[in-house]
Formats: sequence, structure tokens, C-alpha cells
Amino acid sequence: MASSLHEAPASATRRFAEDLRQRSDTALVALLRARGDLAVPSPATLRSLAARASSHTSLERALAQVDALVLQVVEAVTAVGELRRAQVAHVVGAAHGAEASSAVSQQIDQALDVALTAALVWDDDGVLRPSPGLEEVFGHYPAGLGPVVQDRASDTGQDLAELLRETPPEQRAVLDALAWGPPAGRVPPGGTRQRAAVDALVAHGLLTRADAQHVLLTREVGLALRDGRTHRTPALRPEPAGHDVAAETVAAESASAALELVRRVSVLRSAWADDPPRVLRSGGLGVRDLRRLAAVLECDEPEAAFVAETAVQAGLIGDDGEVEPSFVALDEVWSELDDAARWAVLARAWAVSPRTPWRVGTRDEGGMLRSALSPDLERGWVPRLRGAVLRVLGGSARALSPDDVVAALTWEAPRNAPPETAVRGLLSEAASLGVTGAGAMSPPGRAVLAAMHRDPVAASGAASRERGDRAGAGGDRAGHRPPPASGADPLAEALRAVLPEEVDEMLLQGDLTGVVPGRPSRALASLVEFAADTESRGAATTVRFSAASVTRALDRGRSAEDLLAALARHSPVPVPQPLEYLVRDTARRHGAVRVGVASSYLRAADEATLAGLERDPALAHLGLFRLAPTVLAATAPPALLHETLRERGIVSALEGPDRKVLDVRHRREGHGPGRPAPSGAASRAGRGRGASVTGPPVRSEPDLSALVAELRVGGHATTPASPRSRDGMESPSSPASDTDSGTQPHADGLALLREAVRDGLLVRVDMVGAAGKLEQRTLRPLRLEGGRLRALDPARDAELTVAVHRIARVAAPDDAS
Amino acid sequence: MADGPLIVQSDKSLLLEVDHPRAAAARRAIAPFAELERAPEHIHTYRLTSLGLWNARAAGHDAEQVVDTLIEFSRYPVPHALLIDVAEVMARYGRLQLTTHPTHGLLLTATDKAVLTEVLRSKRTSGLVGERIDELSVVVHPSQRGHLKQVLVKLGWPAEDLAGYVDGEAHPIALTPLTTPRSAGEEPSEWAPRPYQSQAVEGFWHGGSGVVVLPCGAGKTIVGAGAMARSGTTTLILVTNTVSARQWRDELVRRTTLTEDEIGEYSGAKKEIKPVTIATYQVLTTKRKGVYTHLELLDARDWGLVLYDEVHLLPAPIFRMTADLQARRRLGLTATLVREDGKEDEVFSLIGPKRFDAPWKDIEAQGYIAPADCVEVRLTLPESERMTYATAEPEDKYRLAASVPGKNRVVEALVAQHPDDQVLVIGQYVDQLEELAAHLGAPLITGSTTVRERQKLFAAFRDREISRLVVSKVANFSVDLPEASVAIQVSGAFGSRQEEAQRLGRIMRPKQDGRTAHFYAVVARDTVDQDFAAHRQRFLAEQGYAYRIMDAEDLPAV
Repeated sequence: MASSLHEAPASATRRFAEDLRQRSDTALVALLRARGDLAVPSPATLRSLAARASSHTSLERALAQVDALVLQVVEAVTAVGELRRAQVAHVVGAAHGAEASSAVSQQIDQALDVALTAALVWDDDGVLRPSPGLEEVFGHYPAGLGPVVQDRASDTGQDLAELLRETPPEQRAVLDALAWGPPAGRVPPGGTRQRAAVDALVAHGLLTRADAQHVLLTREVGLALRDGRTHRTPALRPEPAGHDVAAETVAAESASAALELVRRVSVLRSAWADDPPRVLRSGGLGVRDLRRLAAVLECDEPEAAFVAETAVQAGLIGDDGEVEPSFVALDEVWSELDDAARWAVLARAWAVSPRTPWRVGTRDEGGMLRSALSPDLERGWVPRLRGAVLRVLGGSARALSPDDVVAALTWEAPRNAPPETAVRGLLSEAASLGVTGAGAMSPPGRAVLAAMHRDPVAASGAASRERGDRAGAGGDRAGHRPPPASGADPLAEALRAVLPEEVDEMLLQGDLTGVVPGRPSRALASLVEFAADTESRGAATTVRFSAASVTRALDRGRSAEDLLAALARHSPVPVPQPLEYLVRDTARRHGAVRVGVASSYLRAADEATLAGLERDPALAHLGLFRLAPTVLAATAPPALLHETLRERGIVSALEGPDRKVLDVRHRREGHGPGRPAPSGAASRAGRGRGASVTGPPVRSEPDLSALVAELRVGGHATTPASPRSRDGMESPSSPASDTDSGTQPHADGLALLREAVRDGLLVRVDMVGAAGKLEQRTLRPLRLEGGRLRALDPARDAELTVAVHRIARVAAPDDAS
Repeated sequence: MADGPLIVQSDKSLLLEVDHPRAAAARRAIAPFAELERAPEHIHTYRLTSLGLWNARAAGHDAEQVVDTLIEFSRYPVPHALLIDVAEVMARYGRLQLTTHPTHGLLLTATDKAVLTEVLRSKRTSGLVGERIDELSVVVHPSQRGHLKQVLVKLGWPAEDLAGYVDGEAHPIALTPLTTPRSAGEEPSEWAPRPYQSQAVEGFWHGGSGVVVLPCGAGKTIVGAGAMARSGTTTLILVTNTVSARQWRDELVRRTTLTEDEIGEYSGAKKEIKPVTIATYQVLTTKRKGVYTHLELLDARDWGLVLYDEVHLLPAPIFRMTADLQARRRLGLTATLVREDGKEDEVFSLIGPKRFDAPWKDIEAQGYIAPADCVEVRLTLPESERMTYATAEPEDKYRLAASVPGKNRVVEALVAQHPDDQVLVIGQYVDQLEELAAHLGAPLITGSTTVRERQKLFAAFRDREISRLVVSKVANFSVDLPEASVAIQVSGAFGSRQEEAQRLGRIMRPKQDGRTAHFYAVVARDTVDQDFAAHRQRFLAEQGYAYRIMDAEDLPAV
């Protein structure tokens, strides 16, 4: 096997295309599904499909998606050149015979099937061969093996195994050093014993000289030294270490995190309703506002940023559309939902959010601090990575550390490993949301995963719809979040299932504290919220009553009796005397100093005059009322009061704030300036929140089948435009109809050209000549780069260079007929 | 687990439901590692602190036990992060140890190279340690033993002190089964330490050095005497003031084999050094020209035991002196580990971990402390006084409110309600107290009263020759007035928690006839006085005392 030679490239390419042609429709659909980029835009023929599949870009993409084991199998096949199926397990390093567990060989088999399905490897009558183009993708030394040198055997005529056995130890040491790669070694200085050994090896053809200073271990020798293996051990799916956590702990941690997030979002909303922070000119939240928010939420700044981001994603916070915009609470529906439903709103928004709040506080390339809620934090790949992270978590019943998750994701796509900070960021978000509890995926988390799995497109659709909604700030927002289907919301239900039972009682104590020994019911929670200050939160809630907190309740229109009755209702023990005293004493003082509204006042030394004015029906419109025997207040502004009194024949004087008499003619009425109508909302609202592409192009099954059918007939039937335009993914350069005008999708033409360059084939090129006329030439392409094709025209025996955009169509000569 | 008496909060507080059938078991289980923070009627709050967990480690409990206890008694799943934190904090104690090496002397050794390196890299340990012997040990200058321990606690790596103690000069001391009469007419009577007092002595002795926490009135002096008997060495006793020093002397003579000649007093008045010497904090902290003049006392004899009364009041200079006494056994006695200055960690590192603790209410339930009824009487000020108060300068407001004349009538009415009780009236302002004393016809003790006069009056009060006594804050500490059953507080030191405990302690001694003690605080309504009263109210309610508020108008005869 090791000595088998690589086929001539041209025939390899042709036979690869032939293999594709011979695949069943199902297999082709599977190929197109595995490698989405092959189907978009639709290739014209199976041949151009084969060309595209073996193009560098497409192979890179395909390899970026496969896991480490598939990658290993593909690399092994590429390095060895041709393999029988039964050899694969050995070559990638699986143990032999009885030691080889069936589970391992099964995994390797599956990996091989994936590679075959994706046409990274193809089956040539029982011999596995790499897709053309892979050699270049893997670079000079696939699997750390050196170049193929074909003439060793002919030089020496000696059996390689025998030769290696006879190698003296000194030379053997050199070989062993190079055996597992990299296969290149520096030539030792002349006159040393090592140099002698290297020279002897070169003489035997076991090493080959790369240049004056370097020698290379040839692939054949390398493989022989490695006992025919390309890898030491197969890269099996790593078993995440993790640790066990009790299911109750996971559920409890998840529930408390979920409730805490919901609470924080509520606090955020009320805090920003009272005092909306400004939107920065760049569209984010100022550093100081974030710090203030963290203080209000009693958490650190990254957590505060996450809470704010989630609230915005859920449409609960948005900018108010004023000229100097501020963040304000939107969506009044929130206040009517219970905790579980509120959480579902947040979880659903998070599942599709393209935001990266963990980068808040870091600096961008320009050295600017990234601010929370800034448009700059949006990244299209986030939902995809979130899905991957949740899948890893969901695949284990244990608690996984961030390192475990990173390792699993790296194994899943070693050539496209996710950034570790992003994974950690998403994991901490998941913990804050209660998607995980104590590091393991929680039941509500599984519901989120299921929802993402069930309906990723609809979910992201909902998100972009929401974003559209936000563009019309101030518009009707009532129905912007469709309740999922009918009946109960599965997300809310999943959380409800883990929430601890509601408790409707509070133990009141003589030190003016109360303890709710569990999760408070809504009625109790609202009582506690406005009548007491929370001291400790968690499984239970400890609150303290103080004059200030009782005043707050009284401010809301509760009377002392009312409040005491409510407390007594919720308390299994009598209300302690000190608490009762506190409430009554506070009520006694409450309202001792009163504040009211008046626009102007009237004072006079003579009580009788004022009494007369207060009762005068002609002055009723002034809204006069008596505050003290010598003071009347009026709801009318001072100027009007002044004028009206003059008309009644009472000569009044106007007082300024310093109680000096003013000249009335210089004063304007005391109205505040009218607020300008909200404008500029629409122009600003869309900014920065545009991107909505959240995943790779997705085509449905019937779509792909139709495409395969087209390919079979040679692609000359007109592709119905509708299925592709529906998802809106095709490149703008692709014309609506790509076959009838004699042009073809650009990518296909280029792929054919690249294939021809690689294999040294002739192609027929339709190109726009210097005169602007279409001319057809048969060319042997030499180089394709920088938007230019350099090719040899064998008919004229001349080289020419054509700008790629002048090429209308490329076809293999045998297709041309 | 589903229905435990304990709720573990993620902020490290533990809520214990008192009426739960398993509450008593849970209380016993968590007491070694959690500090009782509040003990009102239904739910007691404990807190997990680093010091508390280290105290538990020092007492031989490990993290697994703590975690198991929390899980066993918890009603809801215990927060995961808290369990991890408990394990981490507890694992920090004992990673460093102070030991004695036959040739190198005092050594700081570590079980973990990284910890020792981390600690030695800190600037704060430089100068305290000497040459590094090997990867796991370093020489400590014996004079820096205390300082090093202090620093290590602050660095979060408390050292376990296994270096032992000097034996000290032997001096046989034993408890007597019969009390020795102190005055004519007093009969010798049988007595024995209460069980918890013996436990406290044993707990201390096995731990080496440390603090015993017992409520006021629970007999800390006897614990001290027991420890001295156990040690059988010369002893230095540090107390808060002279009156307290004399009470210690009296108690020791009454209950031990020590005679008056063996006990010396080292105070402002006398400077005696005897096998057992009682010194006041004040004399030790007296400075002349920037130098502590009485430091030689600490080295005057080869003390085998140093006893600190009221550890929570120990002044900072004494901490510094104590740092040099690390080779001697140290026993701290206190009612509370809570210090108003937050220096709990110094007590931990310099005196030692807590060795015994009994919840106040438990001892009360055993009948050793009188139950108390706390009442706050609110007095509405007359119009004219309200006006004076409202326009007063802020710094004068408390004094004005605390010493309003109306309080005299209220005190009078309260005293009238307790014709047969021994009543103490306690206040802050001397002129107010003078007025009150005149009003009630009762003797007055203030800071300017001579010690002799004080002792005479206290003795008369004890012997029920007088039933009313007006005292200023001199009576706050360590004056034993077991017969007082009513205390009326007319003004206090800005609502200090300690002061409250002390005042209550005055009347907490068990009464012959099992009468309920009464504690009244007279407060002027709608003034800062009331705000300070709120602190006191909170403290007392947290200690589990029934607390009521009543209006002065509801008192008869006001």
C-alpha cells in the first residue's frame, strides 16, 4: 500500500467526476446537504459540481466543518494516496486485532462515511482515494509525512523493509527523529559522524536532499517507519471530564439564576423608567451608566451588561426616539407576565441574539472602549456558536467546565475552533440565564435547546421581526412577540417545573424583619417589594421594615390599617408589637408636611378680602383655594390671576421670588416649552442592528432533490427562480437565469479553470475579445490569479492573458460537442 | 432534605427556623462553624465567615462535615458555589503551621510549596521571617510569632500555631468546694462550676489558647478561675477597670485556694506584682513621652497564663503587646466576638480561635440567666421643647433629646411600678443623672465617685440596704450587681450595640425567686434619641428578647 503511486492528476479529476455521476440521487442530496456551498449558486452540470467540490475554497470550507476524526481519516487517505476500507483503522492509529474495540472501529467507520458522503474521499472500486485538490489543502507534509519520491526502488532495487532493518543504529536514530514529522531535517556540518550517517541515508535513498542544507524523509520511508500509520492514535471524540452534580442542585441553581435574571431585568426597567440613561452617539451605553446600573442590580459590570443586552434583545428596553435619545423601558406586557413567562421571553431572545456582551469593556482595534448595547457588539456567528455550545452541554448529564466545552468544540471542528473567550462568554451567559445550573445543562436549558433545534429559522425570523419592530419605535408593540403556537409555552413550562413551590407566608419578627421561607407568591412579592427592604435573597427572602420602607407603602396609597391587615394575612404569627407600632407611628407622621400644586398665590393682610375672593363665582375659573387665613393659592398662572383681579377692580401687585414687586409687562407666562414631537426615530432606529444572517445557507430537502435532478440532465433546464430567491441567499452576481444566455455562474467557470490549471487539461473558453465580440478558443490554462487567466493556446502556440471578467463560459472540450 | 429547618442563602447567611422539630439538632450541628448573627423569635440568622470556618477547622471539623451538615439540614438544595467556597476557605487553614524545630527553633512550615512561596512573596511578611530552610519551611524570629500570625490571617492563609507554650512559673491554684466568706455574716456555701463552665475550661485547655464566648451573667469569671486551676501557674489577668479588678479579686478569693496576699492589683492606684496579678487595660496603655511605661509588667514574672477579660473591648495597643506574648497561654473571655471596630481577625490571630461558645438563649433556658422584658417608653415632648429641639444645632440635638426634663417623670412612674425591686437608673449625662438622683432620692455613682465610695454603694445595693441607684456609664462593665432586676436607661452612647449588651447584662443575673427582669429605655419621640433607640431595639430583638414599645402617656401617674 505504502508504495502505491499517486495517479496522474488529470485522470484522477475525471474519475472523481465520474464517481459523482455514479452516485445515487440520495447520495448527491446528502453531498449537497453536507456541503451547502456546492449548491449555492446552483452548479450547471455534475462536472462543474465536481470541479467546485475539488476547489480549494470549497475543500477548506468542508474541512472546517468536519470533526477531528474525519479530518484524520481524510488526511490519512490524502497522505497515503489510496487505501482499502479495512486499512483505515490501522492507518489512523487504532490498535490492532483484539485490542481494537469495536466501538473505536465503528467510530472510524462512521468518520469515513462522513468523508465519503462529503466527497472528501471517494471510493474507486474498493480503493479509497482523496478528492482532487486535497493535497494542496493539507500543504507540503500531510500528517507530517514528506514528499513522494517515486524512483527510490528503481535506484537500489532493494526491499525497503529489509533496508530499514539493516540500517545501523546511528542512521536509524536520524530516521527515527524524522519519522513522526516534521520530515525535514537540517544537514549536520561536514566531517561529523552524524553527517556521515545522513549522507549514507541519502545514498540509500532513504532521505532525499531538499536543498544544500536540508534533507527530507520521503513519504514512503516515513510510512514504513511508522508501521504504515499516518497517526499514532485515532482522534476519538473526547470524553468530557466533567463532574457529577445532583439533578436537584442543577434544577435549583438554574431556577435561582433564572429568577434572579428576571428580577434584575425588572429592576433595570424600573430604574431606567425613573432615570433613563442617554444613548451614546456611537449607539451604546456610557461607562458610568453601566457602573450605576451594576450598583442598582447588585452585580458586577459584565453581568449588568449582559442583563441590559438581554433586555434590549427581548424588546424590553429600547431607545425612546427623542432627539437626544435615551434608553427607556418598552413593552408593558412584561408586567402582566409571571416569572416563568418573563424568563421565556428573555430565553427566547437570548437564543437568537447575535450579541457579544462579554466584549464590553475591551478595546477595539482603534483603542476605543467597547460599550454595552453598542451596535459594534453584533456578530453573525454568535447564534451558531451558541447552538454548538448548548449541544455540547446538552450531550452530557454532568457538569462541564469551560475547558471541557472548548475541547469538545475544538474536536468537532479542529480547523475552525471557536475563540475561547466567546465560548466562556456564552457559558457564563448560559449560567446567568439558568440554562445551566452548577455547570450542567438544566431542564429549562434543554427546553431552550429543543426550541432552537425545532425551529431555528423561525426563531431567527422572530428576532429580525422584532428588530424591524424596534425600527418603528413608539409604534404598536403589543403583539410583537407571538406566543409560540397554541397552549402553554414550553419554555415557561420547563422553568415552572423546576421553580420551587410558591410560599404565601412571611414570618414577621420583633427585630422588624420578615422572612419568606421560599419563593414568594406574586401577591406577597409585591407586598414585600413596596413595604420593606430586601436584605438577603436566595432560597428564602429576608426583608427589613423601616420607617422609610413603610413610608414607601403609604406613598402608594396604602393606609396603616390596610398594610397591617395585609401583613397579618400573610403572617402565620401575630404581627409583632414593634412592627405594628412602627407602621402606626410612620402613618402618624406620614403627610404631616404636605405638598400640593398651585401656579400662583395671593396674599393679603385682610382676611375678609381673601374670603370674599375665594367665594366670588366670577373668579371660579382661577381655581382659588385657601391655604391659610391670609393666603390663597390659585391654579391659574400669575399673569392671568393678576389680570383677572385687575378687571375685578382689585389692584394687585406681582411678587418675584424675592418677594419684591415686579413689573408685569416684562414677564412671560410660565409655561414650559412644548416638547418637540418625536422625530428622527425611524432614521436612527435601524442603525447597527441590521445584520440578521445567523446561519449557513439552508436549503430544504425537496429543493436539493430538484437540483440533483437538474444536474443529471446536464443543467440545461431552467432553474425555477422561486426556491432560491425565497431564502434570499444567492450572490448578487448570479443572474436569474444562468443557462439560456450562454453564460454560466462565475464560480463554476473558475472552478473548471482551476481544475484545468491543476491537471493540465484543455478547456474551451468563450471570451469577449478585444473587439468586443464573443470568440471561442481552446486553451490550456497555466495560471489563475489576480483576476487574470494566463493560458496557452495550443492552436496558435502562443500564451495569452485574459481578464477573468471577459470570460463568458468555460467548458471541457468533451462537453462542448 | 426536603423539609429541613435550615435555609442556606447564597450570601452565606443561614436561616434557622426555630420552631422546627429538628431545629435544636441543626443548631448544635452548625454552631461550630457559623456565627449567630440574629436570634429573634422565629428565624435565627447565622453567618458563614472565613474566621468562623477557620475556628471550626481549629476545633477539628473538616469541610466535608460542614458541607454534609448544610446539606443534611437544608430545606432547599444548597447553592453550589457556597459549598465550593466553604471547602476552599477551610482548606486554607492549616496549610501553614508554626512549629518548633530542635535546631532551627521556630519554623513556619507549609504542606504546599506554592502557598509558602505566595506568602513569602508578600511584602507584609518581609522582616518577619528569616532564612528559608527548604521548599516547605522557613525560620521565624520568635519575637515575630504574633505579627506573622496577624499578617497571615490578613493574607487569607491562617497559620495553625503548634509551637507550644512555655510552662511558666508553677503556682498551685485549685477551686474550693465551699466559698470563702468575704464579709462578716456571710456563710460559706457549697458551689461547683456549672457544666458549661467546665466544658469551656476543657475546650480552652485542649485548644491551647483561644477565646471563650459566654453571655453576660453566665459566669465568665468562674471559667477564668477554672482555667487558672487547670494551668496551676502564675497568671496575669487583664481587665477593663479597677472596679472590675476588685471583683475579680473577690471572686478568686471566694472560690479558689488563692488568698488575698497572692493576688496583686496593678492599676492607676496600686502597682503590686504577685503570683496572680490583675491589671487594667488603662494602666497598660498609659504612655509617658510616647513610651508605654508599664510594659515591664508583661515580663515581670514568667507568666504561665494570660487572661483577657472583655476581649471585644481590648484596645489596639494591647493587641500589639499581645503579639509579643505568643509563647504564653492566652485565654480571652467575652460576651461577643463582634467588635465595633471590626478587629475580629486580630482576636483570632493573636488570642486564638474561639474555643467555646454557648448561645445566650440556651443558657437562659437552662435557668442561669433571668428572662428579661424589654420596653421602650416613648415620651412625646411638650410643644416648647419640640421647638427648642427643632431649632437646635445638630451637634446639640442628641444631648437635648436625651436629657429632656419630661424623662424624670417617666422614670419616676416606672420606679413606682416596681416598689419591691432593686432598680438601676443608667444614663450618659451627669447633670441629668444628678437631677434624677435628686428626684428619686437615690444615691448617684459617676466617674468622679471614688472607688471606695462606689464599692460601698454597690455593696449596699447588693445587700438591699438601698433599692434605687443612679449610675453613669462607669457601671457599664464588669460590675456585678446580681440583685438588680430593673434597669431604666435614660440616655445612652449613641445606640452602641456593646453598651446595650452590657446594660442588659447588669440585670441578667439569675434572681433568687425567678422573677422576670425588666429593662426600660426612655426615649423622646421624633428625635435622634428615637433613631438611636431603633438600633438598641434591633440589637435586643436580634438577641431574642421580647421587645415592646409603649407610649409614656399610657403609664399610670404621668
